[in-house]
Amino acid sequence: MALDNLVITPPPHLRSKEQTAVAMRDVLIALAPITIAALVAFTYNALFNIAVCVGSAMFFELVARKVRKKKVTLSDGSAAVTGLLLALLLPPKIHWLNMIIASFVAVVIVKELMGGLGRNIFNPALFGFVFILIGSGFLASWTGHLGFLPGGFDGVQAATPVAYIKHGLEGAPSYAALLFANYGGAISEVGCFWILLGGAYLIYRKVINWVIPVTILATVFILAYILGSDGLYQILAGGVMLGAFFMATDWVTSPMYRWGQAVFGLIIGICIVLIRLYGGPSGAVAYSILIGNAFVPLLDRAFKPRKFGEVVAA
Amino acid sequence: MAELKTFQGGIHPPYNKELASGKAIKPAPIPSEVVIHLQQHVGAPCEPLVKEGDRVEVGQKIGEAQAFVSAPVHASVSGVVKAITEVPNFTGAKVRSVVITPDATQPEFQKKPGKDLESLTAEEIREIAKEAGLVGMGGAAFPTHVKITPPSDKPIDTVIINACECEPFLTCDHRLLLERTDDLIAGARLLKTAVGASRVIIGVEANKMDAVDALRSRASSYRDVEVEVLEVKYPEGAEKMLIFALTGRKVPPGKLPSEVGCLVQNVGTAVALYEAAAWGKPLYERVVTVTGPGVREPANLLARVGTPVSVLLEACGGLVGNPVKLIMGGPMTGWTQPDAKTPVVKGTSGVVVLTSEMVDLGEESECVRCGKCVEVCPMFLSPNFIVQSTKRGQWDRAEMWGALDCFECGCCSYQCPAYIPHVQYVRKAKAEIAARKKK
Repeated sequence: MALDNLVITPPPHLRSKEQTAVAMRDVLIALAPITIAALVAFTYNALFNIAVCVGSAMFFELVARKVRKKKVTLSDGSAAVTGLLLALLLPPKIHWLNMIIASFVAVVIVKELMGGLGRNIFNPALFGFVFILIGSGFLASWTGHLGFLPGGFDGVQAATPVAYIKHGLEGAPSYAALLFANYGGAISEVGCFWILLGGAYLIYRKVINWVIPVTILATVFILAYILGSDGLYQILAGGVMLGAFFMATDWVTSPMYRWGQAVFGLIIGICIVLIRLYGGPSGAVAYSILIGNAFVPLLDRAFKPRKFGEVVAA
Repeated sequence: MAELKTFQGGIHPPYNKELASGKAIKPAPIPSEVVIHLQQHVGAPCEPLVKEGDRVEVGQKIGEAQAFVSAPVHASVSGVVKAITEVPNFTGAKVRSVVITPDATQPEFQKKPGKDLESLTAEEIREIAKEAGLVGMGGAAFPTHVKITPPSDKPIDTVIINACECEPFLTCDHRLLLERTDDLIAGARLLKTAVGASRVIIGVEANKMDAVDALRSRASSYRDVEVEVLEVKYPEGAEKMLIFALTGRKVPPGKLPSEVGCLVQNVGTAVALYEAAAWGKPLYERVVTVTGPGVREPANLLARVGTPVSVLLEACGGLVGNPVKLIMGGPMTGWTQPDAKTPVVKGTSGVVVLTSEMVDLGEESECVRCGKCVEVCPMFLSPNFIVQSTKRGQWDRAEMWGALDCFECGCCSYQCPAYIPHVQYVRKAKAEIAARKKK
């Protein structure tokens, strides 16, 4: 009998179709609508940013793995995801050096030096973004309308939608504009409908669950109204949607257990509103998620589920 | 439709039961040599009662239990003892075994004068189980007479017959439910008497509704026997999950089912107990499902203990495709074999041959903390953290995350996108923790 190819492995001998690389591919698919929207809106500017960010993220990972003499893991797709997310967080006109620096910080310092994918505490793309946000203050120098679609901002030094949150909504874009086509801030801020579409796909594919995005959005919405701000505007404007569905749900840097995830979403939501209303509005989502990331080890310990049949000690 | 009874967590692997579920049980050929391990159960090995050159008759006791937690073994054929030697069992461990060359013609089994089953006492039933060498036939092979001797301070009110057969591919219990319905019910009621319970619940997964119908029509004449339908989910047949699904009772960590007044026994074991009590037949043969995409004609074979797997495969028309895994037991918890020499033991429920199309030998990569292992764990443990602690040699932490409470169902590894073999790490952690506690 032809039994020459038998292998000996521990059980189980069946496995699901789940693979880290497949999940990363799903994230890329989920990001397609917003990426396309960004390309339509900002054409070659967006294309240039995406190419530089994705290219450099993958390059840095390749080099870092080689230097550390580890297996090259480009095929797991995580470097490409980091690069794309980073590009989506940035404004259309930004000096290429900023992107390279952000990419380097994200991949080499935040991810690889922490031990590689799975070991990092902070979301790499967000950390890289915040690093250059603080370092260069590029958002203040963002200018005008660069795409070929009508609408949007064509003046110099126009205010981004989040800027209105602190100073009142007089003249701010409408809800519909925020949902479908708005220009301002990052290249991903061209309509959060496209992000919702991707988020729904991720939930459908079970890459993420609903707990984190829903608690973030609900917290921002409710707390904003409590503090006298427009909650709906708050969740539609800026990076809340992208953060809630694509950044805060990052497997590696979010809590393991459902209740921990709910508290994590709550922390992030509260931080977003407080920073936007009482601090500087730009980068509020990024700061908030990084703050949330820092709480993850604590949340994992605090919300460890009780074992089956375990009774609470009286 | 009412919601089916079940537990929380678990997975839905491909079941592939249809390969063999329609195949009636038929006897497997007698091999040219049977290899009977003197230890094929949890507990102490047996001492041989025969020596090289001895003649043995089928059903003759050839290995005597030397401890309470042990079970005697019997000759599965009539023939001559060829040797007593060490042979690897399905786990790869070498165990002392009796090798018998069967006679050319084997006698038909002669039923002993029937006893009145209703008049048997608990003590007599335990003795029958012990003398017949009964063990849990679902795979764990825990001696039955020990299991039906519950501690006196833990009264048992419910006997549960585990007819879930939640392991993919396997159909031997399904066939017994259909073909031996009355004997199963009789065996289950003997178990009830043995532990002094008041009722029997037979739990069947919803993918065996023909068996449910058969059971219900036969059980209707007994007021103490209920048949319950359970959701098709793995591991529905895990002892603690099954007790919870059927009774709502939760066995606490580190405790046995007797803690919540339950006894769980497998279908095969109940039928074997009936055969032992009514016919005086010791456990020397069992139904083995030989199946998988690598088997030409899957079947449910009544095989003598000690039959090499190769004989069963040949009886099923041999192999097809590119067989990559030859598994003793089910595909979720079974053991891969290096060749087809391994003999059938009392706990062998199946022989599953997986071909290259069904085997995904992905490389283990770093945990990405997706939390899917936590979501599927029916014991609500944290498999990823047990793995992490084991890798770092932090045994206290491995225990804190639940290493000792894991019953190795494999749901975590099934679901893990990083191909982490959690079960392997858990086994290592269990061994280390046990070794440390001994000191």
